[in-house]
Amino acid sequence: MKLIKTKEKDLKENYLELHYDTVDEETTAVLERLRDTLRYIEGTYEDKKVTIALTDIFYIETVDRKTFAYTKDMCVEIKEALRDILEEYSKIGFVRISKSAIVNIYKIKKLQGDINMRVIIFLKNDEKLVMNRSYKNEFYERLNDLQGRKAK
Amino acid sequence: MKLINRKNFVSIVCIFFTLITCGKLLAEKAYGFTDRYYTENIFTILGFSVLITLILSIHFYLQKFPFLIVFIAQYVLTVGIVFLGVFIHGLFSEHAPTAYWDMFISITIPFLGGALVYYICFFMQIRKANRILAELGVEQSK
Repeated sequence: MKLIKTKEKDLKENYLELHYDTVDEETTAVLERLRDTLRYIEGTYEDKKVTIALTDIFYIETVDRKTFAYTKDMCVEIKEALRDILEEYSKIGFVRISKSAIVNIYKIKKLQGDINMRVIIFLKNDEKLVMNRSYKNEFYERLNDLQGRKAK
Repeated sequence: MKLINRKNFVSIVCIFFTLITCGKLLAEKAYGFTDRYYTENIFTILGFSVLITLILSIHFYLQKFPFLIVFIAQYVLTVGIVFLGVFIHGLFSEHAPTAYWDMFISITIPFLGGALVYYICFFMQIRKANRILAELGVEQSK
């Protein structure tokens, strides 16, 4: 299977196009991976129903038993609990950082430690999150998994 | 993850005991010092190993509190228990005039060493994570 990447200036949204005669094992495996990555989730934003791509979510947190997904410019209330999201989508980069929050690893700009051994997460939208020390090992394991998967 | 549990508690005490005893013997050899209270000190090391392991085992339950506060509290608790032990020991037998100071040094050096190693590992982990994040970011933007 060949991968052709074409850079197009001023493209509104990136897209993938598959050309095939028969869908072989390799193609099926690629599609299987994409299926998770290109998932969408429904929620409510300013009393309107909206659909957001999971890959657009920076982090998800629970406040007063309500779950909110934060994208670059929206805070969408979703129905799913953090546990369900982790069960279904941890493969695509979601990892727990505290009892009430999970973060999309691909949206992290950098990590920084402070004197209290807390890990401060700087997101690509310039927001900051604090990782609880008890979730540190789980976070690093997920990060290593994603790196290992990328290296394969 | 709980690093010290019921299953590995005794093994960890044994490791601490062996390491501290080896350090003691090496220091004695290096300075040509003969320990007159060999038996008492060996049992003190054993007690010290159990105490350190016990205090480190509660670290898991204190992870939601700031590290610096937990570290200082654990250090103060260890010093307090050891000083109490020295005081009780002093009621029954005579001890060296520098006993408190010696015990203070014996606790402070391993605690500071441990904290230093923990800090270095913590920041190295972050550096490694930042490298992986940069790699993942580069891969995504290609």
